[in-house]
Amino acid sequence: MPLIERHPILDFKHDGKVEFTFDGKAMEGFEGEPIAAALHSNGVKIYRETPEMKRPRGFFCAIGKCSSCFMVVDGVPNVRTCVTPLRRGMAVLTQRGRGSVSIAEGEARR
Amino acid sequence: MSWKKTADAVVVGGGMMGMATAYYLKKIGLKDVALVEKNTPASGSTGRCAASFRAQWGGALNITLGKACIDRFEHLAEHLGVDMDIQLYQNGYLLVAYTERQFEQFKKNVELQNSMGVTSKLLNHSEALEICPGIEVSDAVGFSYYKRDGHADPMITNFAYCEAARGIGVRIEKFTGVVGFKVDCDSVRGVVTDRGPIDTDTVVNAAGPWAGRVGALAGLNIPVKGERHELMVTEPVDWGVCPTMLMSFEPDYYMFQRPHGSILAGCGPSRYRREAGPFDDYQMGASWNFMEHMAGHVNKLIPRARGVRIVRQWSGMYDITPDLQPVIGESDELKGFWVNVSGARGFMFGPVAGEMVAEKIVNGHTSLPIDEFHWRRYAEGRFLVEPSVA
Ligand SMILES: Cc1cc2nc3c(=O)[nH]c(=O)nc-3n(C[C@H](O)[C@H](O)[C@H](O)COP(=O)(O)OP(=O)(O)OC[C@H]3O[C@@H](n4cnc5c(N)ncnc54)[C@H](O)[C@@H]3O)c2cc1C
Ligand code: FES
Repeated sequence: MPLIERHPILDFKHDGKVEFTFDGKAMEGFEGEPIAAALHSNGVKIYRETPEMKRPRGFFCAIGKCSSCFMVVDGVPNVRTCVTPLRRGMAVLTQRGRGSVSIAEGEARR
Repeated sequence: MSWKKTADAVVVGGGMMGMATAYYLKKIGLKDVALVEKNTPASGSTGRCAASFRAQWGGALNITLGKACIDRFEHLAEHLGVDMDIQLYQNGYLLVAYTERQFEQFKKNVELQNSMGVTSKLLNHSEALEICPGIEVSDAVGFSYYKRDGHADPMITNFAYCEAARGIGVRIEKFTGVVGFKVDCDSVRGVVTDRGPIDTDTVVNAAGPWAGRVGALAGLNIPVKGERHELMVTEPVDWGVCPTMLMSFEPDYYMFQRPHGSILAGCGPSRYRREAGPFDDYQMGASWNFMEHMAGHVNKLIPRARGVRIVRQWSGMYDITPDLQPVIGESDELKGFWVNVSGARGFMFGPVAGEMVAEKIVNGHTSLPIDEFHWRRYAEGRFLVEPSVA
């Protein structure tokens, strides 16, 4: 899939390739590009499920304004993946409902 | 709209304390009750508060009243006959002691509470963690807990009293500020508002943090002043991050998750306020100092909440009295002029204090003891001592 090189609003670079995981599956993306862009080019289009109606959500505004792309990233829920840069080794999870805040992640970040 | 110039009683202030007083005055027997509110119901402290209630107090009187408040909150909509959900949530206050001295006090409190039918208990660390999994309290000495303590939605609860009061015929005058009183020798004869006067022989000053100012309009010295406190709330996350009211008196903090998922946290101003010079408590605002200080506490106590975004912070006023206890009763200097001020617990106390003041006005006696709260105690050099406040 061709990637856009220049974004009209966001500044990001395609640095070196890095590995990350999506729901536990290993994936590759470019360091520094939005997490959502990396997911998109890996064919992942559903980022979260709404709390009440359980509806799928993905990219919408793509500039950090609408909450559509919230995911759990390294244990933190509600991360706006469309504007958050990808880093090596990130654990990205589909967010179900309001987003879990796990005790284990808390322990790890103590 | 027509303006009625007389009433059997006029309540000043449409927060929890005033709205409940007006409701019970009418309910218990007065014909013509008016409530005047300079802004809108719940626009004062009530709509800005943490809306928590507890029976875990240290003094017998407060335990009795706290328990009565919980009894009422548990069936409030039914009691008021309104079809509203006050979003009651009960999973206790988990009070944290950080010193042996505090814990000794908790032991005394729990013993007294138990003797009065409040089945609170002392907890050790593993029991505390069962109630609030994942919290970091290894530096604590011990805990006390009472399952029936809890919280609700402050605005809906205030509005529930408003609906109920309106429903039984209380006149509620919004955007009506009291600017003076009519006084005849030693008796009150009416209120003067910015929309016109109302003649009455009974006034209840339930203006919360403004009660001192409202009292001054009648030439009285009511020892109540506002103290600005701040509160912050996070975006909602999955349930269970802080499923109890986690609270300590020293250091002073409280935090809890509402059923909707937001985490609320607050503390007293002495912990973060660093402004030099005069500070106007009546000026609402939100300080960076508070947010920084409070976020530090939340991150320490609930490590897994780190990274959860704060979406809002705001402030409100505690209605502060010299001993942080209620100021309630009829003025000794001005007959017919009553005061109903909670001493910074007006959300939980409103339903019971309102009923007691109404009973006292209408019947001359009350079913629960409130006489000790008269502010003449200060002139007599008596302060009520309550160990369980920050
Ligand atoms: C951050 C914070 C957290 C808190 N947490 C809790 C808690 O968890 N539990 C609890 O029980 N309490 C809590 N409190 C305290 C509680 O909010 C107050 O004690 C309570 O709301 C007081 O209720 P009230 O009806 O007396 O006053 P208010 O709700 O302030 O109502 C007084 C009303 O009088 C009106 N008024 C003022 N002057 C005039 C005038 N001249 N004419 C007409 N109307 C006038 C005002 O507009 C206002 O609406 C908290 C307070 C704060 C600030
Ligand atoms: S897609 Fe709108 S905030 Fe990310």
